Amino acid sequence: MLEIENLMVFFENALALNGLSLGVRTGEIVGVIGSNSAGKTTLMNTISGLIIDMRIKEKRKGGERITIYGNITYDGEDITETPPSDRVKQGIVLSRERHPVFPESSVVENFKIAGYLRSKSEIQETMDFVFTLFPPLTKLKTRKAGFLSGGEQQMLAIGMALVVRPKLLLLDEPLLGLSPMMQKAVVDAIVSLNRETNITVLLSEQFARPVLPVVDRAYVVENGMLTLSGTGAELMDNPEIKAAYFGV
Amino acid sequence: MLVGTTIYALINTAILALMAIGFNLTFGISGVANFAYGAFYVFAAYGIWGMLNLLHIPYLLAVLIAVLANLILGALIYRFVLLRVRGQALSEVIATFGIGLAILELFSYFGWVGFEYTLPVFMDRSFIIAGTYVDFQRLAILGFSAVLIACLWWFTHHTSIGLAFRGIAQDERTALTFGIDSDRIAMLSVSFGAGIAALAALFIIPLGSIAPGEGYDVLIKALAVCIIGGLGSTGGVIAASFIVGFAERFTDTYIGSHWTMIVSLAAILLVLTIKPSGLFGKQKELEERI
Repeated sequence: MLEIENLMVFFENALALNGLSLGVRTGEIVGVIGSNSAGKTTLMNTISGLIIDMRIKEKRKGGERITIYGNITYDGEDITETPPSDRVKQGIVLSRERHPVFPESSVVENFKIAGYLRSKSEIQETMDFVFTLFPPLTKLKTRKAGFLSGGEQQMLAIGMALVVRPKLLLLDEPLLGLSPMMQKAVVDAIVSLNRETNITVLLSEQFARPVLPVVDRAYVVENGMLTLSGTGAELMDNPEIKAAYFGV
Repeated sequence: MLVGTTIYALINTAILALMAIGFNLTFGISGVANFAYGAFYVFAAYGIWGMLNLLHIPYLLAVLIAVLANLILGALIYRFVLLRVRGQALSEVIATFGIGLAILELFSYFGWVGFEYTLPVFMDRSFIIAGTYVDFQRLAILGFSAVLIACLWWFTHHTSIGLAFRGIAQDERTALTFGIDSDRIAMLSVSFGAGIAALAALFIIPLGSIAPGEGYDVLIKALAVCIIGGLGSTGGVIAASFIVGFAERFTDTYIGSHWTMIVSLAAILLVLTIKPSGLFGKQKELEERI
């Protein structure tokens, strides 16, 4: 479904991603594991195309020069230079890190804004599905999103991405800032949405422990480079991973 | 006298709200403080006047063309000028103010100033309301302001483009992840603002006459109302229009007309001292922007 070959991204002269190659097959849950500043967010922004928009805006302002090398292929089509709004139409939808929601709008209105490309009935249908996926949101429909807790905002953010009806859902650090219990709830929801709707998921995380048991495959990224890859089970048994992420 | 003053204060409120709402719409969504707003207002007024008196085009058609022309002018200015300086407040202000100056001074150069340069009233009739004479035009302004604000509210809450407006007003990059093209929506916001300026001119100009100076006047009033209300907040525009509208009329009646400006400015100062971001404002950068 998604093929990335030899991806390099420079911010001015700083190398954020260095020769990264990875692939995602239809129906999989794939994890990208890495610590802070490993390049996870840059990778997500590059796949979703946000970086194309950032590059244009920086160029207009005469700000940082962003350079992208390598190839991204999606469903057999080269999308390396496709603008983000077109990628959303093709089914690649990103939920950004730090649970981004529209704080001034109510929960229902957040879904409506996210459903820009969808009809009213489609939005309603997905909203009903999201409320079964995340029952706590049901009681908060009219609450302003800015007043939700971090966990609730994360549920909302994932729900908003689902309203767009993605084929490939990119989740950038969905567990950031959540309690272990909330982390489990979010991971369970990701697994069940993958099973029930057959949406392919690529998620990046620094918390390997809750993520590795549920992913089909995972890649480990350090300093913008791939260091390890394998199935979730393989990586959990890997001594380096144990030392770095499980603190054993 | 109290009832009469209150009625005229209400009308003054409606006029101020009508002048400010387009400026506010653009700023609230794209963050662009459109200082060419007053020029858009005057441009539409002269446009309609020219079509009626020089080209003898029917009234409704002339209005339609003028509103369309403003919509297109707004979009073009965004596409070719603002797009490049967006996000840099000072450049935005200089660019839009420059465009505004150019348009207004061009009309000054033509020398189109005088009492014959005005637009027709909708209906030449007056009514007596609670013992006060009120002409139809002023009532029309009152009604239209209310309808326009209601329409804008509906538009931004129930249509996908309107909701996209609210989305990019809150978080542009997140909106982008849902396929909302921020440049396109920001262009529409400048364009709609210009369109509303044309409608405001259509309703307000018949009370006086068209002059390039009107452009500066409208811009200053729109800015004052938006600063008091909190830039980008529609509720703020309504509240601030009431404050300034009533302050101006009551000062005019009970203290003296030469005090109106001072009282309005004092109202601005007072609000800014107590709440620097305006009554309903959430923009922390307000002080830097203006």
